[in-house]
Amino acid sequence: MPELFMRMMKEEWRMHSTIFGHVSFALFPFMIFGISFMGSFLLPHLRQALPVGDMALATHVMFLVLGAMVGGFGLMGNEMMNRRFGQASLLAYSARSLPLSGKFIFANFVVKDTVYYFFLWVLPFGAGYIAAAPFTGAPFSSALLLLFTLALAFMAGLCTVFLLSSVYVRSRAVCGVMVIAGGFLLLASFLSTGPTLALLFPPYMLYSGFSWGMLLLSCAILAAMFALSILLFSPDETGTTRVHGDLYRPLVKRGTFLQQSPLVAKDLIDLYRSGIGIGQALFSFAIPLVVIWFFLSLAGSFLPPHGLILLFAMISGVIGSTMYTWVTEFDSFGPYACLPVSVSTLIQSKITTCALLQVLPASFIAITAVLSGNSADLIPAVALCVSFSFYASGVMAYLCGLSPSVLVYDVKVLFTYLVFDGAVFAIFSAVSLAHPLYAISSVLLFFPGWLFVKAAMRRWDAVDPAGL
Amino acid sequence: MSVVLEVSGLSKVYGDVTALDRVSLSVEEGSLFGLLGPNGSGKTTMIKVLTGQIRPTGGSAMVLGLDSEHEGLRIRERVGIIPEQESPPSFLTSMEYLEFVGAVRKIPDIRERADEWFDYLEFGDKKNVLCKDLSRGTRQKLMFAQAFIHEPALALIDEPLINFDPIMQDLVKDYLKDYVKSGKTIFLSTHILEVAEEICSSFAVLHRGRLLHSGPVADLAEKGVHLSGFFLSLVRKGGHA
Ligand SMILES: Nc1ncnc2c1ncn2[C@@H]1O[C@H](COP(=O)(O)OP(=O)(O)OP(=O)(O)O)[C@@H](O)[C@H]1O
Ligand SMILES: [Mg+2]
Repeated sequence: MPELFMRMMKEEWRMHSTIFGHVSFALFPFMIFGISFMGSFLLPHLRQALPVGDMALATHVMFLVLGAMVGGFGLMGNEMMNRRFGQASLLAYSARSLPLSGKFIFANFVVKDTVYYFFLWVLPFGAGYIAAAPFTGAPFSSALLLLFTLALAFMAGLCTVFLLSSVYVRSRAVCGVMVIAGGFLLLASFLSTGPTLALLFPPYMLYSGFSWGMLLLSCAILAAMFALSILLFSPDETGTTRVHGDLYRPLVKRGTFLQQSPLVAKDLIDLYRSGIGIGQALFSFAIPLVVIWFFLSLAGSFLPPHGLILLFAMISGVIGSTMYTWVTEFDSFGPYACLPVSVSTLIQSKITTCALLQVLPASFIAITAVLSGNSADLIPAVALCVSFSFYASGVMAYLCGLSPSVLVYDVKVLFTYLVFDGAVFAIFSAVSLAHPLYAISSVLLFFPGWLFVKAAMRRWDAVDPAGL
Repeated sequence: MSVVLEVSGLSKVYGDVTALDRVSLSVEEGSLFGLLGPNGSGKTTMIKVLTGQIRPTGGSAMVLGLDSEHEGLRIRERVGIIPEQESPPSFLTSMEYLEFVGAVRKIPDIRERADEWFDYLEFGDKKNVLCKDLSRGTRQKLMFAQAFIHEPALALIDEPLINFDPIMQDLVKDYLKDYVKSGKTIFLSTHILEVAEEICSSFAVLHRGRLLHSGPVADLAEKGVHLSGFFLSLVRKGGHA
């Protein structure tokens, strides 16, 4: 176990650090530390704006979501790495040729993800809060407890995804039922009793009132999920050689009005057949958004009636723009290198694919608007969502070219991204809070978005693709 | 005869590895040119630089009259390439992959051409199978078809034979020999010296990024030496130098 585990850790580290240098990557945890350290000083002010306790709850849920996203990415790892680095795939998958059981390798993989991302995200965050404790007057013991409960929340997210994925491999139907039932439960309890269900999230309960019983319960739940996902894990590929009809030609024909229809059609088929589309839509889109909606609604009483849905529309747009990471992540420049395709063409096609996929967030926000009784704000909400997503994906394309999911760990890149998005977010929050119809002006964002895409194409063509 | 490929003083350095060290050579139109060399000698790097997939760190290369450093896209429009690691997108079927290539290269009668290739390389039964489920050899067939489907004036092919069975190797060798008869050019990298001796008109030997030899295959026959013996002694000597 230690041998394989250590090698997997090294592999993960190299994967991140080779792409943009050890120093830059090593800075990442320090940045998280800094953010949390400085954030701690803001806490008293935020507390005045938000009901007490909600900040802590929000942080826990943020780490739950983070765990789910990390887990989702880890699972797609094989497919992505194969495409990105050719046959040189991840240890987790190549180790199959070694005399080790599939369950054993999977267990190592889960533990590796937990430990690695604990050091990357959770520890620096908690440490920042702890380091600030003497200055902010937060009790040291509660800061320590926070670090621990955040780790639990993170692991809860990770284990949920691993469990779901183990179930998914066994039976898609059962997995679907679990997800729908879970979502329904959340929604139903929310509609009937308000946010109280979230307060029952064990790591949060543990934080708000420590008790050994709760600690035991939290750990037991995690251990059970972990054990269950390993028990259910089956390394066998479900795919058998099946014959597929030709989807490509009709799709290209339908898309001839798009500039890069040959590439876009390929991407869409790829997303559809590989299951990456469904997996990502669930793990990095639907789940985070449901959770965020939940939290925003806690703050609802502080906002004007239309504020909530419009704020949510902006967030959905930004999360929708991360679809640019999936469409770029699942293949690299490699397979195109033998064709007359340049990096800029590829960026353009990925942006197009991503834009087409925005049907998802757009309809999501439309449905939310109607269901939450904000039908009047439907058009401003959809406009905000779509414009934000286009703008944010343009920024991402400019900053990261074809490797956003890796470069996001580059401190400089992440910081610039946050500044560009944050500024626009601040402006349009103010604008849309003033009057819902003003939010429609967000379509103006298409212009800078488009400029970013153009600049991205110029910028990344000048870089040697071998360096990507 | 005109020169389709002119390389002068070409270098490529990756960090502390010098993959190509001031290589100069030229390839004439209508020739079947073999690039030989031990593992890691720089053959794949050479093909990547020539087709503008990566940039040289020194020197230059003209391919079909185009500068590989700045006009890579136009070069790739006009040549055919078989990359070293055959990697068609996993979730397209073979047929869809060729249609994809056709759409990118703007070949109007792509389906007819694809069908011809499925027949010629005998893998029509795999038309509707996803690329990820193909055997290695079949994937190589697909990459072969992809490189020649637009009948390029120049094809740069990296180890095209390695995964083929003997029957397929024969078929492909004949195809390559015929292909250059029509005045088109092939730039082939290979480890199989017998194949190089049998089908190539000229060849070059790379070793640790340096060019050890370049010239017509016929010269060797005149001297009564075999390519394999020549290659081995050259590389062993080069290894000591
Ligand atoms: N992306 C890269 N980064 C660093 N070094 C590289 C890279 N690609 C190739 N090299 C190095 O450049 C040298 C030449 O590699 P190349 O792939 O061109 O050799 P080759 O002649 O094709 O070998 P083979 O016969 O094994 O295919 C090797 O030492 C290799 O390790
Ligand atoms: Mg090679």
